[in-house]
Amino acid sequence: MSDAVVARTGTAVVAESRPRRRWSPGGLAGALVLASWAGLFWFLWISGREAFYLSTRTDWVVPIAAVLLTAATVGRLASARVVAPKPLAARELWIMGLMVVPVVLVLFAPVTTLGTFSAGKRAGFSGVGFAAPAGDIGSGELTLIDVAAAETSPEGERALAKRAGENVSFVGFVSIRDDTPADEFLLARYVVTCCVADATIAEVRVVNVTPGQFANEDWVQVTGTIFPIGREVIVDASDIAQVDRPDRPYLTP
Amino acid sequence: MAQIAEPRRIAGLRRPADRRTVVGVGGTLVALALVVSVGDPGRIAWVRTFFVIFGSLLIQALPFVLLGALAAALVEVFVPIGVFEKLGDFPRPLQLPAAALAGLAFPICECGSVPVARRLMQRGLMPSAAVTFMLAAPVLNPVVIASTFVAFRGRTTLWTMVGGRFLLGMLVAIAVGWVIGNRSKDDLLKPNPEEVDEHLLELGRPEARWRRFFVHLGNDFLFMGRYLLLGATIAAAIQTFLPTSLLTGLAERQVISILAMMALAAALSLCSESDAFVAASFVQFGPSAMLGFLVFGPMVDLKLVSLYAGTFRRGFARTVVLVAAAATFVGALWVGVAFG
Repeated sequence: MSDAVVARTGTAVVAESRPRRRWSPGGLAGALVLASWAGLFWFLWISGREAFYLSTRTDWVVPIAAVLLTAATVGRLASARVVAPKPLAARELWIMGLMVVPVVLVLFAPVTTLGTFSAGKRAGFSGVGFAAPAGDIGSGELTLIDVAAAETSPEGERALAKRAGENVSFVGFVSIRDDTPADEFLLARYVVTCCVADATIAEVRVVNVTPGQFANEDWVQVTGTIFPIGREVIVDASDIAQVDRPDRPYLTP
Repeated sequence: MAQIAEPRRIAGLRRPADRRTVVGVGGTLVALALVVSVGDPGRIAWVRTFFVIFGSLLIQALPFVLLGALAAALVEVFVPIGVFEKLGDFPRPLQLPAAALAGLAFPICECGSVPVARRLMQRGLMPSAAVTFMLAAPVLNPVVIASTFVAFRGRTTLWTMVGGRFLLGMLVAIAVGWVIGNRSKDDLLKPNPEEVDEHLLELGRPEARWRRFFVHLGNDFLFMGRYLLLGATIAAAIQTFLPTSLLTGLAERQVISILAMMALAAALSLCSESDAFVAASFVQFGPSAMLGFLVFGPMVDLKLVSLYAGTFRRGFARTVVLVAAAATFVGALWVGVAFG
């Protein structure tokens, strides 16, 4: 008899010092939003899809965000059992749902890149700080970034002019504007420093093209002879081959 | 009955979510997934462009918001409140410059500095100092200075841009802090209903630190995230339709070119760690206009104004926009006159 009283008293003490915890609706909903974003970053990292949004300079944020968001999800879930949960307002739940919308868009929309629609709206790439020094442009393989950057400095222009008549090979997408002659197109590639929002465009004019052979946004490899004329660079194509969109569609300076 | 009434009072008498709301939210998300995967709206060029820019803005910015929320939660839970009270003992003329220079030790961009500044204010740091820190950190941090150096390397204006960005950024942040003056945190901060901490309801029992840390981390991330989402939507829409060439015709007149580049910086909402490369691409503009772009953009842009509107009371965003714009304009103009 005496033991039973002690036991009941003990239980009562424990119950008083450790009040019963229940799931907080807000905590659970918050954990779900965090989990959805964590899932998105894991997906981007594992699939390599981050290349469609970020440059190689900044793609390190993806694994870090995946790990931190996972930790935040686990922590939020573990702390979501509280003594006095407050109800979650309907408006708040809709806002949390809204925060999942970008996750749905990135996961379910077919993967795409910037194309010709933006070509006329973006500033031209200018990266004298990135491009090979003018002296180096005088030798070695020319990249589309070197060519585009050289166009924006007098030293680069002069160094590039000395390469006139040499063979080059560039990969990019076809951009045809209203005033582009039928036997030409612009070979374009976006240059991304951090994310696609800061994309600038690098373009060269390709001549000697079979009219009608390529359409806007076809990815091609152009091989030909380069002729820098002032700030414009012309490539006289000897071979144009259609290629798949590269795994990294944007260039990083 | 009283037990039911109490939580509703705390939730601000808003309609609580019920099963119908859960089904509505879940159903909407599933329907959206079906529409975008089957309908492929990306076939429409502008929709595709919008999706790509919107997605990239969020994918780049959200990790920094998370890092900011992490730093804010650490400040809230692990830094003793006395530390911030001691900072108040600094001689007043030194407080704002010290707060601006503290940005040197905080290498994350503008999205991360807002939650930290908010938390610093809540922990007792003088609001004007917290605002100065919030505006200065995205401009003065070492990553931004390094990226500015790389973007302008090889140009004669290199040191005008790097030094000018650092000094003008600091001065503009201090100017805004000075205008904020002695306003209290209650005058500035908007109350967040989600911050009525369920853990505080366990009266008399201090909650474990790790629990408080994760609650603050989650709340700050979700609170800032929603405003980032709104800002990124507007910025992506503007980037989709606004041709940057629209502004290049304004490059010849110095006064107009500074204003045009400041407006462009606000519209594009670029990360401060990458904006120098975009500024460098506007070769038609002089160093004063580029400085306007580089100093104003990290302090005032569409996604930031959205974050400010969500975090601070009405009028704060207006004060920041007006003072930062005026100070940046005058500073950039002076640089233009002094350095050409």
